[in-house]
Amino acid sequence: MSATALEVVGLSKTFGGLRAVDGVSFAVPHGSLTALIGPNGAGKTTLFNLITNFFRPDAGEVHFYGSSLARLTPGRIAALGLVRTFQSARIFPGMTTLENALVGAHLQLRAGPLQQMSWLPAARREERTLLARAEALLELVGLARARDVAASELPMGAQKLLEVVRALMARPRLLLLDEPAAGLNDSETAELAALLRAVRANGITVALVEHNMSLVMGVADQVVVLDAGKLLASGTPAQMQADARVIEAYIGIDEAAN
Amino acid sequence: MGRHEPADGHSAGEIASGQQVDQALQIVIGGLLQGSVFAVVALGFSLVYRVTGTINLAQGAFCILGALLTYTLEDGFGWPVALAAVGGGALTGVAGLVIGATVFVPALSQLPVSSMLIMTTGLLTLVEGLVLVIWGSQPYALAAFSGEAPIELFGLRVTSQGFWIAGMAATVFTSLWYLLMRTGAGKVLRACAENPLAARLMGISVPRVTLASFALAAFIGGLGGIFVGPITSLQFDTGRFFTIFGFIAVAIGGLGSFVGAVVGGLLLGVVLQLAAGYVSSLFANSLAFGLLLVVLLWRPNGLFAGGLARRSDVREEQRIYPPIVRLEGRRAAVLAAVALLGALLLPELVSSESVMSSLVITFILYVALLGLDVLMGYAGQVSLGQAGFMAIGGYAAAILATNYGWSPLAGTGVGMLLSVACAAVLSFFTMGLRGNYLALATLAFGLLVDSFAVGLTETTGGPSGLVGIPAFALGPLVFDSTVKMYYLLVALIVVLLLLLLGGMRSGFGRALQAVRTDQTAASALGINVARYKLIALCISAALASLAGSLYAFYFHFLSPEMVGTPRSLELIAMLVMGGEGTLIGPLAGAALLTLLPTVIQPLATYKTFATGALLVLAVRYLPGGIYGATVQRLRHWAAARGKTS
Ligand SMILES: Nc1ncnc2c1ncn2[C@@H]1O[C@H](COP(=O)(O)OP(=O)(O)O)[C@@H](O)[C@H]1O
Ligand SMILES: [Mg+2]
Repeated sequence: MSATALEVVGLSKTFGGLRAVDGVSFAVPHGSLTALIGPNGAGKTTLFNLITNFFRPDAGEVHFYGSSLARLTPGRIAALGLVRTFQSARIFPGMTTLENALVGAHLQLRAGPLQQMSWLPAARREERTLLARAEALLELVGLARARDVAASELPMGAQKLLEVVRALMARPRLLLLDEPAAGLNDSETAELAALLRAVRANGITVALVEHNMSLVMGVADQVVVLDAGKLLASGTPAQMQADARVIEAYIGIDEAAN
Repeated sequence: MGRHEPADGHSAGEIASGQQVDQALQIVIGGLLQGSVFAVVALGFSLVYRVTGTINLAQGAFCILGALLTYTLEDGFGWPVALAAVGGGALTGVAGLVIGATVFVPALSQLPVSSMLIMTTGLLTLVEGLVLVIWGSQPYALAAFSGEAPIELFGLRVTSQGFWIAGMAATVFTSLWYLLMRTGAGKVLRACAENPLAARLMGISVPRVTLASFALAAFIGGLGGIFVGPITSLQFDTGRFFTIFGFIAVAIGGLGSFVGAVVGGLLLGVVLQLAAGYVSSLFANSLAFGLLLVVLLWRPNGLFAGGLARRSDVREEQRIYPPIVRLEGRRAAVLAAVALLGALLLPELVSSESVMSSLVITFILYVALLGLDVLMGYAGQVSLGQAGFMAIGGYAAAILATNYGWSPLAGTGVGMLLSVACAAVLSFFTMGLRGNYLALATLAFGLLVDSFAVGLTETTGGPSGLVGIPAFALGPLVFDSTVKMYYLLVALIVVLLLLLLGGMRSGFGRALQAVRTDQTAASALGINVARYKLIALCISAALASLAGSLYAFYFHFLSPEMVGTPRSLELIAMLVMGGEGTLIGPLAGAALLTLLPTVIQPLATYKTFATGALLVLAVRYLPGGIYGATVQRLRHWAAARGKTS
């Protein structure tokens, strides 16, 4: 756990005078599960958007396993192994649950359009391998029975789980999850927690934004607290629970959640 | 951009002065007049776009409707000019109100933006078809409002109608500005444009406001047609030229910006008239198209950064998407085998030559539709210019085979390469943009190809067409009869289907589908959105081109009409009716629209109208097309049978 997966240095972004993210620095150690918490509007989603270059930062840098992500397109960043999900589940409507999961493996495909069109044995074999993996992952989160259902017809919680599965199909080195448990019921949250532990056990680093404190305290190795665009504190879950400033922000979160 | 150009030629006709400066001034004045009309159409575009986020392609058709209604009131009912003009404008507004209330506004809250565009394509076709049924296909001209005598102004002779046009454009612009900026109604309208959700919370009936602006835009379009009517010839399909020039004006000025619409319109008018006056009208059309591409690349938001940037994620939420229809593997294989057997035996059963010929045409169009399905059904990119690629394929192959003795196969190949090259250029200019720019760029492209097919008389035979094209041949195999063409097409379609099914049912198809519904999420998964759009457009261009070549070889004849813009719109209708994103479905759409007029001859006059109406209905009520509905039926039936046994 010595290597650093992600290093964020002095990241800032202003939206028409509003400092959404203001000089934030933190590091995500390889193999860890880092939780990002903070009240609504603290800038957590914006931070994710800056890391994956969906927005260009006003200042600051992001390093992924030592190399800078500046100026890379979101697609290139995904190709490096940094894969994210969205706060509002962005599954692809018009495709089944299974197909949605398979889209995630896009970067894994060796065969190009031409090989796929000519039904080359290698291309078919590859498809079958991916299919098996997708089915296994869907099984893990309890979505196996919904594999041929239009993904847009799944309940919100299932869509969010599906989005995590889709991201995992990309075999990421670092997974950024934006509020994966929002909209999940208790059993789905438990499934998510199990999935996250399995993910980490497989050596995939995770950073997630989460409001559900019991989930955060249960699975996170490190907690980073953001408030009004600024880094408030960071440390182990136990340290954060004892931190006065965090408790204050905590109350903010509870109020926001209610 | 073709045979029936709005307000063309007139200014050139009025030029009497020998002096060069005078001539230039005359041309500029002519351009400003033409530009005023573009500006008025553009204002209508911008109004609807601001409130709904949709580009209403039917906008130009309202110009024709207004002008011809005025003509009938004047000529048929003997109304005085002024009264007829007011009546024509009012009736066009009412038509807008009816179409808006029954079709446009109800669909707005349910359909994705790209489907709305297709729906307005249907509306354009529907109104054109209606005009064709009522007024026929001949050109009309209105009487000038105040006599034909030109007016002398600083030594220049200006047609008196010109003052009417300029006055009308200025009045429309100032009234619209006053309405929007200075009245309560305008405030409400702006609230709906800027934030529909907030407007609804404030108790504003957004659908009502949308309807009002749609009708107002129709009224404005009608006025444009009525005022330009006396100096240009109008017929049922002139509307699409108004649409495309109005759109180019809007693209130059900035979509959604009213000042931009006016500046863009005037600029376009002047540039076009100068180009036509000093070089040729073919050059002017190419220039207009080039201008559109350059603006799209250089300033996608136009000169006057289009009012407000609409957030593409705001309205997309409660949209309905077509049902997912997938046949289960074994059943699909059985059905495919049965269908292939049926197709092979069909010539034995059908004795009628005209039905066989319709089947061949159906299959040729299906080849083009397979490509369009990859582009539209899978990648979600709308192309309104597929017939342009058909024309390139058809003319390239026919000319090479007829005049230069090339083998038909080599000619077809060259056509496909040329089409793919054009597709790549179009893609380069539009793929970085979100929204429906590709649709408009391809529409302009199709009209441009059309005007080349008509204008380059030496090479293409002009409007009367190219004759003496040989039959298609593969080495010693010559396909010189309908039945031989039929079997060739069956073989070709089997190969194409296998290729496309292989592609669409694996990573390639999934990537395209991801691009279709959510480009942001797609790129987050490492999908190169621009690349996949490019590939899809190239496939569709290649197959359309192939279809165009086969079409020419089958008929031994090719005229611009056979591969003009109506054909592009018809292909869209066939695809949507058959079922997008299914590969198989479009065959049903092609068969329906090709065989029906053959079997029921009197239908031919109503074909355009019916195509438009069916397209609108299919977009609205049959989201999975004929194929989707059939497969769902089949599934229910299988499920019911499974339960009882
Ligand atoms: N695209 C945007 N344009 C303007 N303001 C934005 C944009 N995205 C986020 N913001 C603003 O930045 C602040 C932080 O938002 P966000 O990152 O979504 O917070 P969080 O995810 O922590 O709830 C909010 O005040 C929000 O309104
Ligand atoms: Mg957020």
